Amino acid sequence: MDFYFGLAQLIGVHTLLGLSAYIVLLTGQVTLAQAGFFAVGAYVSAMLTVLAGWHLAPALGIGALAGAITACAVGFPALRVKGLMLVIATLAFGEGVRLFFFNFDYQVAKGGIKVGPLGGEGFRQIRFFPEHGWSTLEVMLFVWTCVVLAMALLWWFDRSRYGAVLRAVGEDEIAAQAVGVNLTAAKVSAFTIGGAIAGVGGGLYAHYTTHIEHSSFNILVATFAIAYPIVGGLRSVFGTLLAVIFVQGVLIEGLRFLGDWRNLLFGALIVLAMNVRPAGFLGGARRA
Amino acid sequence: MKQNVLAFAVALAFAAGGALAQEKTIKVTGFGAKTGPVRSFGVNSEAAMRAAADAINKQGGVKLADGSKAKIEVDYFDDGCNAEQGISVVRRIAGSDAVIAVGPTCSNVAEPLFGILQKKVDDKGDSGLQFPIFTDVAIKVGLAKISEWAFRNVPNEATMYSSVFYWLRASHPELKTVYGGVEEDFAHSRASWHVVMKDRAAANGFQVLGESKWLLADTNFATQVREMKKANADVVAISAHPFSLCGALKEMQRQGVKPKVLVGLTSSSSMETLEGCGKQAQGIIIPTSFAPVTKEGQAASQATAKFKGAADLHSMAAWENMFILKQVMEAEKISGGKNDLQADRRKIRDGLAKLRTTQGLMGVTKRTADREADKPYLFVQAKGNSWVVLHNPL
Amino acid sequence: MLDILQAISDGVLFGATYALIGIGFTLVFGVMHKLNLSYAAASVGGAYAGLLILKVLVGAAPWQVFLCAFAAGGVIGYLVYLLCFHFIPLANPLATLMSTVGMLLLIDEIIVHTTEGMPQNYPAMFDDVMLRAGEFTLRGDLLLVFAISVLAMILLLALLYRTKLGLATRAVSQQPVAAQLCGIRVGGVNAATFIVTGLLGGLAGAMIGASVGTLSPLLTTPLTVKGLIVTVIGGLGSIPGAIVAGLLVGGFENVLQLWRGVTERDLYVMLLLFAFLVFRPEGFFGRKAATD
Repeated sequence: MDFYFGLAQLIGVHTLLGLSAYIVLLTGQVTLAQAGFFAVGAYVSAMLTVLAGWHLAPALGIGALAGAITACAVGFPALRVKGLMLVIATLAFGEGVRLFFFNFDYQVAKGGIKVGPLGGEGFRQIRFFPEHGWSTLEVMLFVWTCVVLAMALLWWFDRSRYGAVLRAVGEDEIAAQAVGVNLTAAKVSAFTIGGAIAGVGGGLYAHYTTHIEHSSFNILVATFAIAYPIVGGLRSVFGTLLAVIFVQGVLIEGLRFLGDWRNLLFGALIVLAMNVRPAGFLGGARRA
Repeated sequence: MKQNVLAFAVALAFAAGGALAQEKTIKVTGFGAKTGPVRSFGVNSEAAMRAAADAINKQGGVKLADGSKAKIEVDYFDDGCNAEQGISVVRRIAGSDAVIAVGPTCSNVAEPLFGILQKKVDDKGDSGLQFPIFTDVAIKVGLAKISEWAFRNVPNEATMYSSVFYWLRASHPELKTVYGGVEEDFAHSRASWHVVMKDRAAANGFQVLGESKWLLADTNFATQVREMKKANADVVAISAHPFSLCGALKEMQRQGVKPKVLVGLTSSSSMETLEGCGKQAQGIIIPTSFAPVTKEGQAASQATAKFKGAADLHSMAAWENMFILKQVMEAEKISGGKNDLQADRRKIRDGLAKLRTTQGLMGVTKRTADREADKPYLFVQAKGNSWVVLHNPL
Repeated sequence: MLDILQAISDGVLFGATYALIGIGFTLVFGVMHKLNLSYAAASVGGAYAGLLILKVLVGAAPWQVFLCAFAAGGVIGYLVYLLCFHFIPLANPLATLMSTVGMLLLIDEIIVHTTEGMPQNYPAMFDDVMLRAGEFTLRGDLLLVFAISVLAMILLLALLYRTKLGLATRAVSQQPVAAQLCGIRVGGVNAATFIVTGLLGGLAGAMIGASVGTLSPLLTTPLTVKGLIVTVIGGLGSIPGAIVAGLLVGGFENVLQLWRGVTERDLYVMLLLFAFLVFRPEGFFGRKAATD
């Protein structure tokens, strides 16, 4: 059972990563920066639990805040960059965050040994869960509480005016502006909320892997972040969840019986999925 | 009459079933990178594990507590050199009837993985995973001390490089200076220069003139090699994996930098270096914990080749692990029963912790208090198309 | 002072390899307005495929390997078009983006599986030629790469502006619907673009392999990132821009490495990109009104 709980934890954290990209993609902005916000949340909440001895919940909160602030700071200049250029700009930003942590040292002596992030060596021994006796089941439930909250929030947005505004901006910016939508508010707020969700996801990631380093937040992670909502379809948050289950549950774990062929099929199946369902599993357009 | 025949048939069936049930198995599962640039490591480790299990089984298998013999069954999972996949794979293995896992390949998987294990055995407040792991490849310094369930059979670079520099000083007293080349963004190579090579060179009387840094996937080494040329050291020690090692060596050839002695990183004493830049790597000296110089080593090499793997210091550690595990399983009298799985795992862990020495392919390996190995080693040098033994300090 | 000049020249010369990759990225960007994230991987794949000729023709000369890589690149380019762009409707840019990501992963895995991830020695031409002026040195083989980039640029510009295919390509790039109405087969033009950029990519991969001396799957990610950065700095769709930007990025990163060390180097390259995005979003030679 431990394995399934562990897999569920992984699916949960990846769903948060996907959801953080989902809300930004709704506004038509393709972002490869989510791994950067994920990293910020991871390092901030890990430093709070390890260096300052905080409980995980408030640490995650601050991690989310840090992710949100960073995303907000990115959201404003992102307004100036359109379309595919934004992809490259956000990719560069994400890499910039990774390189920042590659060079970031902050160690504190605790009980005779030094703890904290150490540049290229990474940040080790983030052991809040095992030290406080959390079982794999309890961690899974905690992760999924966060996921359900995030999904509920986004699902509620989708049924409210805010969601309609976001999608309107995504469909046609000029038309949206013509009916009085504040583009800046829509796009930057989407980035900020996405950053907060990524921050929570990152914090959980740091604690369930117990060791993070700059390469844990590389371009592949950023790509997976947008892959989930694109493969799942932008119609609803469940598309992202479905895509995470498909990628992590089926392609990565489920296909293990194929041995060596598994990884070859990974890329091939994504290409196939996009050809067969270009708008994602659940489709893109929302019928009101 | 019919009843007697029936009873006899049933008794026969039970006996036959009982005889079949004599085929007991003990599962040892390996895991490591079978995808990505380090795929060859996983392939070789798997081949070595299967070859070793085959050899053990041909000799009868493992003796269980009740005197019967069990065959070792090997399975191997790919973790893609990714921390999350590594953790997931080990949870999967722990959920199966395997008694221990052998792996991982990558240090960036080992560190998080050991972190999720229970730190101290019998710590009731620690909910970490209680499953033993015996590492064959992941070599970054100081990882086994993260958890009492983690054991490694990897070479001790501090000891080896100390020996290299000591031997260089003794056999070539005209060599006085050392300059380094280091891959900064890979945990293993970075630590190997800054913590090991630099320190051990200075401790053995060399003057360390400095180092040039680059990244794992870098392609342009012009500036770094220029710095190297300026330093004009007698010995150049490069702590880098084959790809960037080759890039640096080729640039050194281009700029005409020819140090008197070239020293390399343990992991680079493999076919990869010879295939990537054999010409430029000629003469490079690397300490390693395996070369097919002993009868056992040669036998292991040939056996592994039959399972389509190459024998090098990494895969041969996996081979050694299998035989060490057989020894421990028999010494601790594991039951092999499906109901005693956790007890058997604990016995194996305790057995591994008790070991002070193990029998390796190169000789006796010492085991340290923090669950690491102090393996016998020798120095190899790239000559022609292969690695030739330069010096055997034993 | 000499150090800085040497660093600049070392970097600029190596930047010629970035320029070659950048040209391919910017062509697909500029013509199809779609991002082909698998381009660098396909180029490296073409370079690997070039090595296959050594199995058939033992002792083949470097130029034969390069030619094989060139041809293989074209084939891979067509396959990428077919699998990632042909069947997906134009209205789904996200789908093509993701399918090229899948393609990148697939090509990477194929390379790893066929070579077991081991670095492959790559033949080079003029790799031992070093032009010297006192203490100052210039790599001869990189000058060759630069010359090839310039040649490729001239040939491509000739193709684009002096041939019917080029005319059709420009028409499709500016107004796909109108072009169709004029009888231009959009699918055929796009396929041709991918084949041409694929050929160029295969050659770029071979040149990079020759400059580095070894091929490894590790190359794909940094080349993808550099290629994208060069495309933006040079201006989307501008071939001369890609060359200038490639040289600039090469020189810039090497100087920053000299000054601030290798761990911070790439951070500054990102900052350079951001500077361009803020102050000159159209890049060196891009068109001012960058519509989607």
